[in-house]
Amino acid sequence: MLTLTGLRKTFNPGTVNEVRALQGVDLTIEDGSFVIVLGMNGSGKSTLLNAVAGTFIVDTGRIELAGHDVTRWPEHRRAKLIGRVFQNPFSGTAPNMSIAENFALAARRGQSRGLGFALSKDLMAPLRDRVASLKMGLEDRLDNAIGSLSGGQRQALTLLMATWLKPELLLLDEHTAALDPKSGDQVITLSEEVIGRDKLTTLMVTHSMQQAVSLGDRLLMMHRGRVIHDFSGSAKKRLRPEDLIDLFDEIRRRELLDESAATMLQSLYV
Amino acid sequence: MTLLVGAFTIGLILALLSLGVLVSFRIFGLPDITADGSITLGAAVTATLCAQGINPILATAAGMLSGALAGAFTGILHTKFKINALLAGILVMTALYSVNLRVMGRSNIPLMQHTTLGTWGENFGHTLLGEGGLMVFGWRVGAGEVALLLGSCAIAVLMALALFAFFRTHLGTAMRATGDNPQMIRALGANVETHIILGLALSNGLIALGGSLLAQYQGFADAQMGIGMIVWGLASVIIGEALTGGRSLGLTLVGAIMGSVLFRLLVAVALRWGLNPNDLKLITALFVFLALILPGLLKKFRRAPVQSAAVAGSQL
Ligand SMILES: Nc1ncnc2c1ncn2[C@@H]1O[C@H](COP(=O)(O)OP(=O)(O)O)[C@@H](O)[C@H]1O
Ligand SMILES: [Mg+2]
Repeated sequence: MLTLTGLRKTFNPGTVNEVRALQGVDLTIEDGSFVIVLGMNGSGKSTLLNAVAGTFIVDTGRIELAGHDVTRWPEHRRAKLIGRVFQNPFSGTAPNMSIAENFALAARRGQSRGLGFALSKDLMAPLRDRVASLKMGLEDRLDNAIGSLSGGQRQALTLLMATWLKPELLLLDEHTAALDPKSGDQVITLSEEVIGRDKLTTLMVTHSMQQAVSLGDRLLMMHRGRVIHDFSGSAKKRLRPEDLIDLFDEIRRRELLDESAATMLQSLYV
Repeated sequence: MTLLVGAFTIGLILALLSLGVLVSFRIFGLPDITADGSITLGAAVTATLCAQGINPILATAAGMLSGALAGAFTGILHTKFKINALLAGILVMTALYSVNLRVMGRSNIPLMQHTTLGTWGENFGHTLLGEGGLMVFGWRVGAGEVALLLGSCAIAVLMALALFAFFRTHLGTAMRATGDNPQMIRALGANVETHIILGLALSNGLIALGGSLLAQYQGFADAQMGIGMIVWGLASVIIGEALTGGRSLGLTLVGAIMGSVLFRLLVAVALRWGLNPNDLKLITALFVFLALILPGLLKKFRRAPVQSAAVAGSQL
């Protein structure tokens, strides 16, 4: 279970570049829940995932994951509990190392790394099977540098790596946004499969309305560093892409209103 | 012939330097120039201990460890205090200049009168081959020289094998990934800072071992002996990459050794042909400069016609 209480994060505080990226997020995510996160650009989706992963320490608030208070844990310590796939296919793999070596690294996520041989037989046999199940023909290329693969192949492998050891929480941040539609669909299908099979607690950010309605059992809409809508159960099931577009329109109208109110106040008082 | 054997031996000893540079520059991608100080530190510590009659193996190990410590310092400055890697290296290198003088108590320690690994090697050679030495292609090579050559070769190969094995362990693989994609390995639970500190300690430990052996081979340690060493190490690594193509871990390690030996031979030949030794560093620096910009230039020259061909193709 993931519990967020009063999360706040301001970037570059006290400067002209000040951004209040998280302005009080309270959220409880049950075990096995697959949560979709939607929101306009800059609404704080990535910041939320980064806060949970420990890319930075939040200004205030509390993060509890699987019974641990991880608020002050550094990123590499939280990695024991969290699997991640980034938006950029280059981010999740070590390009100059082989596919097998990348998996050897993932197979020790959050564990101590001793002087045992990394590419042990215990790893190679299940690895070949699992990679073969992708049907990308990569099982014969386990010794090839992962940097020689396409973005879609790398994202699929990153997803397998992130879930090789079952994580308490899986974080997917627009992990198909940089892919062509066909590879994107492949990676989404694979994600559904992996998440369903292992009942992974998942937070997935997406831009695709189609993915947002067809995937997951809960949907959060973020705006200006807050969660402004939260659909789950039958309400989530009933959502159609048109409903989401309406919600976005409403946000845009509110934005305009805010702006015109600001100009009005400015003209009156400044 | 003696000149040739000498160049070979120094090349093999300094292969430890190029292995160290390989670890910091290539595997971690960190421009660590602590080397100039740590190679002298290894020599200084070993020479001081040998001069006091300490067992040469202990003295050598102490030299290596002191280099590792210096590397760890650079790593700590870089990771914990967020100082640029190049500057961190310069700081430690500069500090080491004073440390080395302190360790030695003067600027030069001669070792001719003391027992070192060099003396052991020579004695071993004499008992094995007799005083007459060996005939190689009609040239007489002293038994001591042969023994030192073989000994240096054994140490270089042993260290390369150890590195090869280490970089294929769980920890070693994670350390390579730290240089390749720190974001990824952090997300997989590795402490990148610790890896960098360990890596620079490993690198400078190897380099200091090279300095320690060099002092014992040439029979003295000198406070100035490290100046410009980092560029010599880089030159060796670059030559090695050109020789092997540097694709896999094993090849890059072999390349570093071959590069170091070839570089020493080239230097020996150039000096023999009358190159002024004072110009050596300038020429090495020019060589590294060329090696650094050449691949980019070649690519430009090659790409230009290819691109226009592709454009022509797409227009058809
Ligand atoms: N490391 C950072 N430094 C400064 N500003 C940041 C940083 N990360 C995100 N931001 C800002 O925080 C806001 C939210 O960004 P983000 O969470 O990436 O939005 P999105 O919902 O598009 O993922 C944006 O205004 C962005 O510019
Ligand atoms: Mg984002």
